[in-house]
Amino acid sequence: MSNKSTMEFQSNKDFFSRVNLFVQTHTALMAVIIAAILFVATIIINPRSFNLVAIGNIVLLTVILSIPAAGQTMVLIGGGMDFGVGAVMSATAILTTYTMRGENGHFLPVLLISIAIGVVVGFVNGFCSVKIGLPAMIVTMAIANIVTRLQYILTQGVLSGTASPLLAATVKFKIGGVIPHVAVYALIIWPLVFYILNKSRFGKQLYLVGNNPAAAKLTGIKVDKVRIISYIFSGVLAAFAGIIGAAYMSTARCQIFDGYAYDSLIATIIGGTTFAGGSGSYAGSIAGSLVMVLLSNLLTSLNLASPIRNVLNAIILVLLLMLYNRGKAVRQ
Amino acid sequence: MKSIGASFRRFRRKPAFTGFILFLVVLLLNIIVQGWSQCLSKGFSVGNALAFFQPTSLNSIFMSNMPFILVTIGQALLLLVGQMDVSIGVQIALVNVVCIMVPQQTGCPTWVGWLVGFAAAFAISALAGVCCSVLRLPSLLATYAMTFLIQGINVLIMAVPQGVVPRAYWKPYQSTVYGLFENPPSFLKFLDYIPVAALVLIAVLLIWHFFSRRPFGKHIYAVGTNQRNAFAAGINPVSTQMKAFLIKGFFVGVAGICLTLMSASGNPLQCEEYGIKSLSAAIIGGMGWGGWGSISCGVFGGGFLVLIQNAVYYFFTLLSKLFNGFAVTSYWHNFVSDIIIFGGLLMTLVTAREQRKTLQQGLKSQFKRGEKNVK
Repeated sequence: MSNKSTMEFQSNKDFFSRVNLFVQTHTALMAVIIAAILFVATIIINPRSFNLVAIGNIVLLTVILSIPAAGQTMVLIGGGMDFGVGAVMSATAILTTYTMRGENGHFLPVLLISIAIGVVVGFVNGFCSVKIGLPAMIVTMAIANIVTRLQYILTQGVLSGTASPLLAATVKFKIGGVIPHVAVYALIIWPLVFYILNKSRFGKQLYLVGNNPAAAKLTGIKVDKVRIISYIFSGVLAAFAGIIGAAYMSTARCQIFDGYAYDSLIATIIGGTTFAGGSGSYAGSIAGSLVMVLLSNLLTSLNLASPIRNVLNAIILVLLLMLYNRGKAVRQ
Repeated sequence: MKSIGASFRRFRRKPAFTGFILFLVVLLLNIIVQGWSQCLSKGFSVGNALAFFQPTSLNSIFMSNMPFILVTIGQALLLLVGQMDVSIGVQIALVNVVCIMVPQQTGCPTWVGWLVGFAAAFAISALAGVCCSVLRLPSLLATYAMTFLIQGINVLIMAVPQGVVPRAYWKPYQSTVYGLFENPPSFLKFLDYIPVAALVLIAVLLIWHFFSRRPFGKHIYAVGTNQRNAFAAGINPVSTQMKAFLIKGFFVGVAGICLTLMSASGNPLQCEEYGIKSLSAAIIGGMGWGGWGSISCGVFGGGFLVLIQNAVYYFFTLLSKLFNGFAVTSYWHNFVSDIIIFGGLLMTLVTAREQRKTLQQGLKSQFKRGEKNVK
């Protein structure tokens, strides 16, 4: 009897360890599975939420979140962390609405200035955290604060201007009534990021730098340069995401996208990129973005009071983190 | 004279040296700017030149910033054991909400509400400790998730800002020691320079002093530097980190009560930014990530941030008095103080490098002396 129960326990343990192994080796797939569970849960709870408009919105928000998550993935792989993506997104969103003021024909200057902002902020972030050696989290946060203050000085806290109709149409217009046009942006950016991370020389160097900086240095890689470039990519991608976000929201107030700093970080972590650096994939980050969007979608469709929604959100986030992002035990 | 030099050199190797120098600089700046501004408006005199030290000014600085300084001390303690808590700001809002709502709803005396507030602070800190230390989740993300949780609880307890605190409670906190007396004798006038809020800080530091003398005071450094080595040396890392979280819970409780007495009302959605601000304050004060720093780093770092905001405010008043028609919005104040905070972060590098060098030299000289003795 006791023998049998031990065996059962043994097989149980096998099952759990196999699940654990699967989770740890297939993080991106796991994120997709979680996303699917969340989506099915949403439909079961509220069948009316299964419609084309809702699906279109999910695609749109996922694409917007996946762009700063791309930059975050690069920085995390290189062993850093970027808390400035939210502030950069808000800044370029405000820049977009303030420059366009609802007229067409300002897209190119807005794009160029935004990218310049992204490069400058990314470079300062990278330089301060890599060359000067300040803790990445604190220094990117301090710079994000300064960017936020600049937004207030520029706007004086007043809401003004809208994105141009053409830009808004390129984001919101739905092909066949289902897939929003923003998917076109995704078709440009996603392959580009995949190429940078997996095929280009920079991507290979970045993985090695994150994995083992000393070895990377010995092979002749300029470690600091690679890391700073990863921050610059993060700044530029966030700047671009800000323009698309402005087109989606039409108007932009200060700090509108600040939450994307944490959201992109959590999406990237759920997608299997680790704080330690050197591992992770962009496919995982896209799946993680999908999980974040579906999670907030689920909580909205539950139709709860906002404090209870906050509590639920926290509990689910902690559970997600517990699933496969625990540190190593001291005793092994 | 020699002993002063020696003790200065010893102090230079301390982690708090960075924060102390920055604090001193900004304190001087504050005294000059505030004094200058006062002299321009009220005529020159020694009293006006030292306007910073006037009882009302000192008292308002201590009183309104005590919650933030206490929170920074708590954050510094967590950084010592290699953890952090970005939800620390909403935690003091939780204590505030509990302190107001428990007496209001049950009709029990105010101090019972305070005890429940302390219990809430301990409970929420223990929960954060379980997430970060026992479950080994990344503390930044786990405590960020807890921000949602605590804010949700806050709003569930108190939907909108409301509530009052009896005058007998908040009046002593907001006054100076001299103001506590009914008919004070005039020879005690010097007590006017000691705010009651400063006594709270001193009491908290004394309590910390008691803890730091116990083995726990050494364990936090061992665990913060390297958990594995600490474990091999017979220290339980999880229990040390949990203790740190609970002591932080005590600091949060005191900070929440200070917040309640300061505002004399309740607000469920305040102080959220304290979580991140206290982190950068602790780093400016000279904390490293785990095992490097001390509680005084937190005090100086918190003081630095508080005084910067004060100094920038008086700097712009001074400018508006020097140049007629010069006026800027408070957005510029925030911008300038954030730039200075960033500068402070860069400054820690210069001073910290000095520190590391002295530390290394100290180690090397000891090492060499050891070799010489062997020969």
